[in-house]
Amino acid sequence: MDVSRREFLVISGAAAAGVAVSSLGIDMGPAKAYADEVKLKKVKSAKQSTTICPYCAVGCGLVCSTDKKTGTIINIEGDPDHPINEGSLCAKGAGLYQITANNPSRLQKVLYRAPNSDKWEEKSWDWALAEIAKRVKATRDEYFIAKNKKGQVVNRVEAIAEVGSAAIDNEECWPLQAMMRALGLVYIEHQARI
Amino acid sequence: MTNHWIDIKNSDCILITGSNAAENHPISMKWVEKARENGAKLISVDPRFTRTSAVADFYTALRSGTDIAFLGGMLNYIIENEKYFKDYAANYTNASFIIGDKFKFEDGLFAGYDPKKRKYDKSFWGLKRDSKGVAERDLTLKNPRCVFQLLKEHYSRYTLEKVSGITGTPVDDLKKVYEMYASTGTKDKVGTIMYAMGWTQHTVGTQNIRTMAIIQLLLGNIGMAGGGVNALRGESNVQGSTDHCILYHIWPGYLKTPKASQATLAAYNTKYTPKTGDPISANWWGNYPKYSVSMLKSFFGDKATKKNDFGYSWLPKLDDGVNYSWLNLFDTMYNGTIKGFFAWGMNPACSGANANKNRQALAKLDWLVNVNLFDNETGSFWKGPGMDPKKIKTEVFMLPCAASVEKEGSITNSGRWAQWRYKAGNPAGDSKPDGEIMTDLMNAIKKVYAKGGKFPEPIVNLKWDYTTKGTFDSHKVAKEINGYFLEDVEFKKKGKKFKKGDLVPSFAYLKDDGSTSSGNWLYCNSYTNKGNMMARRGKDDPTGLGLYSGWSWCWPVNRRIIYNRASVDLNGNPWNPKRPVVKWTGPKTKWVGDVPDGGWPPMSNAEKTKRPFIMKPDGVASVFGPGRADGPFPEHYEPLESPVAKNAMSSQFNNPAIKIFDGPMDPFAKNDPKFPVVATTYRVTEHWQTGVLTRWQPWLIETQPQLFVEISEELAKERGIKNGEPAKVTSARGEVAAVAIVTTRFRPFKVAGKTVHQVGLPWCFGWVTPKDGGDSANLLSPNVGDANTMIPETKAFMVNVEKA
Amino acid sequence: MSGKSILVDTSKCTACRGCQVACKQWNQLEGTKTKNVGSYENPQDLSGQTWKIVRFTEGKNGSGKAYWHFFSEQCRHCLTPGCMAEVEKGEIVQDEKTGAVVYTPKTKDLDFKATLEGCPYNIPRKNEKSGVLVKCTMCLDRVQADLLPACVKSCPTGAMQFGDRDAILAAAEKRVAELKKTNPKAEAINADDVRVIYLVVDPKKCYSLAAGK
Repeated sequence: MDVSRREFLVISGAAAAGVAVSSLGIDMGPAKAYADEVKLKKVKSAKQSTTICPYCAVGCGLVCSTDKKTGTIINIEGDPDHPINEGSLCAKGAGLYQITANNPSRLQKVLYRAPNSDKWEEKSWDWALAEIAKRVKATRDEYFIAKNKKGQVVNRVEAIAEVGSAAIDNEECWPLQAMMRALGLVYIEHQARI
Repeated sequence: MTNHWIDIKNSDCILITGSNAAENHPISMKWVEKARENGAKLISVDPRFTRTSAVADFYTALRSGTDIAFLGGMLNYIIENEKYFKDYAANYTNASFIIGDKFKFEDGLFAGYDPKKRKYDKSFWGLKRDSKGVAERDLTLKNPRCVFQLLKEHYSRYTLEKVSGITGTPVDDLKKVYEMYASTGTKDKVGTIMYAMGWTQHTVGTQNIRTMAIIQLLLGNIGMAGGGVNALRGESNVQGSTDHCILYHIWPGYLKTPKASQATLAAYNTKYTPKTGDPISANWWGNYPKYSVSMLKSFFGDKATKKNDFGYSWLPKLDDGVNYSWLNLFDTMYNGTIKGFFAWGMNPACSGANANKNRQALAKLDWLVNVNLFDNETGSFWKGPGMDPKKIKTEVFMLPCAASVEKEGSITNSGRWAQWRYKAGNPAGDSKPDGEIMTDLMNAIKKVYAKGGKFPEPIVNLKWDYTTKGTFDSHKVAKEINGYFLEDVEFKKKGKKFKKGDLVPSFAYLKDDGSTSSGNWLYCNSYTNKGNMMARRGKDDPTGLGLYSGWSWCWPVNRRIIYNRASVDLNGNPWNPKRPVVKWTGPKTKWVGDVPDGGWPPMSNAEKTKRPFIMKPDGVASVFGPGRADGPFPEHYEPLESPVAKNAMSSQFNNPAIKIFDGPMDPFAKNDPKFPVVATTYRVTEHWQTGVLTRWQPWLIETQPQLFVEISEELAKERGIKNGEPAKVTSARGEVAAVAIVTTRFRPFKVAGKTVHQVGLPWCFGWVTPKDGGDSANLLSPNVGDANTMIPETKAFMVNVEKA
Repeated sequence: MSGKSILVDTSKCTACRGCQVACKQWNQLEGTKTKNVGSYENPQDLSGQTWKIVRFTEGKNGSGKAYWHFFSEQCRHCLTPGCMAEVEKGEIVQDEKTGAVVYTPKTKDLDFKATLEGCPYNIPRKNEKSGVLVKCTMCLDRVQADLLPACVKSCPTGAMQFGDRDAILAAAEKRVAELKKTNPKAEAINADDVRVIYLVVDPKKCYSLAAGK
């Protein structure tokens, strides 16, 4: 099921809601020359892949078309083969294109705000992860609770908390809770609680 | 959901209340519409006439926070008019069980209440059991102390007049809804409930859902196609994140997090492994140790051995009786004892009730790590309204993460379908998939602990090998979640042999001796030696019920409608042969249809059968629910902030088992004339949650650019507010500026003989963007939570609305 | 009758605005700056960047119960387009096969005011940058490739359907008859004159603008 090789035409099939769409003849007349086909051509020749909407929990299917040369996503619309949405999408799913790298507002850099500062500074991943690791260790080591007031072994950290996320993949949820629990956190929560 | 989205088309009566499906799950209306094309009726019950109400066959309003009264009246109607499905209730629920002598209910309180601790001693709610622990029953449902009779007595108090006086719903409307819905109590009709935060975000949230569950059980709608109790969850993977338990109180697969008093793995397993004396109760949680040990093996791999209790002591223990959930978390943070915080793909500065308390709390941190796709009110809290950066010492690390289409992995929808999705484009700029970020971060932490530090064992021993060629590999994690055989093994009874390294085909093969691993037993069967079940795209629908069993994979073991053993009679024949979910065809060919809730023969085979509700120790569903913190029968209590002076049902005004915060940041209105208007919060189709993603998208912010407050024409006239004018909404906790939408869709309620107004606001705005968009409606809502879950009561509180 | 048609059954619409945004996505139109003027409806009107707009109308009916009607407006693709009255050099063409009314780049030379006045539904708009007149294209490029128009594809409830005009007209008639059982004023607006046919439960009630002159 290597969907990336499938033609856009096949994936975004012409399934009308109960009314037949007849195939169009060859002779199109003058109007054809004016139907702006630039987008369609680009989309047809792009790499197709399927995804599931990141918003509500209906789990609608979408098809992404990615320009093979630039690697940019050039179109996102409903997956007509998906049994739940059958190609349809609400405003949010229909606009998914604007969540991609095409949106200039996307965070593109690691940012750091120093104590008492009024601005962000751009940083590298290596720097940020190393600094966070330092702080995690410092806070954890300082406030680690090996035994509670009753003398019971608890091996936990109450001075660090984590919330999130219902918007990440299952394969990210599981390691995230594993990681936080391995660090000894008990204040672990997320959207499901609210 | 017990059922799933497409299954809605099989319903005869769809009740949408405590939710606004057309608004927040718009595509679900495709299946609602299909049901209606086949003659089904759609009922919308909502304080406000919504986009769902606009297409409903019948709409009526109720005051926010009165759902138990509304549903209690329905229960009364069902019982009085004998609309219930007796065979189903008698055989498949605990309606026939005899309640112990200590149980009683009087004036709003159940037996066993300690007013000082605000807690119940649940031993007062025990059922009568024989020496083996098997519950005593009266299948005729006539015994005056049986659950059914006490249920009848309890809800006989919810008369039409009483209910109308509480909810503000006209008596005729109540009757109409009750009639329509109760008609699904027959074998050939089925009703479904589609609910969401409109029910959960209350101090009585859990009991709201319990009331509906009891209705569904009495009507025989659980396990049936087109029926069930169906939560419309709000986030694309909140089902998955809940299943994998990013929550303080549960371990992956809904295991419990260990308490300080459970010093050993054995003590822990014993405590949480239920026993049953009933030979025909499957008591599936009896397998608990297999799941907990397998999970520990996934956490610590080879480092987890029998000798070290599989690493049990490396994981943190909660103090007995202490609750570490959201509201307590932010209270603790506000009090200054939380120093470091990860807000990972979450925006608590806008999503949390009493948002200002959360924002102030963030300022007490030493450091904050915020992972998100866009700038947001949490990561940038230090420059928000009322904040002086010069005075805030919190270090903030804003880590840019990839969008859903920029990585590969699975998410689980509300119908429990885990669906695989693919990478379409590269992450924007330097952003990375969350999986990569956490992999690299934990590796950095492991590195600093390699040199020593406090209790390094869990960190150093954590199995963390989910990369391929140095990059995060979601397939490796998916397989870990499914689980492996860690040694060669043979299952003689099943006639199966497996090799070390084989993926476990289903949780029926997991063991408690350390020979198997499984990150989450519920997902065992999702990625097997047959491949990635979540990536399947099969379109066959042989039953015509829309199960699509070959499309993706759902838990448990791809069972699409759970509790489906209740969809058949004692002989295994579907109650409704027109919509057969499963059917017993005999000892050779067994069950056909959906994956049956266990392969045992039907109940007519008294020896080999198992009762249908396999996760309950008694094998039957709970009409009487003695496990809840606030009572075994749902009872109406007023929201913490209420427009009335008295609870019409009893002297107990609020839920007696809720925690009420009483710090300086926790004010609430007690019959305060300053806040005379009921308020609720909700969403809009065009934005998602706090708007953290959608407010940055021109096509979406164009459709819904600013915070608004919807108010009735009557209230608008009183306050001199015109449509489109700026308004000010205030509560005991905060204030927001909002555009007034004066509408016919909110009407004043007649409650306890007086006029009560209600308004509503969407909570999708925040000060970061757009600049004139308004701030979060949660600046108004109260930080008080449900008695069982502590989900905040953001759906019913008191405000004032004025012209700005 | 030949060609294509779109049926918009407003009784099934829940205003999910998938159609409004899908149009923007396919045509890569801009999101414009808006304000909330006391309604969910936004933008307030069609424009150079908005070719499909969901209208929201609410009120109280006789029994005092509220109503909220949704009307996802777009060009009607008239059989005899009034906007073509000033056309001389093929600035606006009507596709032979589908009947779609298409504005070519040459429309920048047309008298916009006159063109607009010719339209009974107040549809033609101008792209401010290029001066070209714009409106719904019936996604002719997609239709020619055997795909559904973006808006139709996006619709979850079947409120929008696309197909041969005969079939659409027949579906409209059938649905109006059904609707009339509970809504005696139900109507398919100007079905004989337009290719984009709107079914409404009550045309006089608040559709006056959208229903045309």
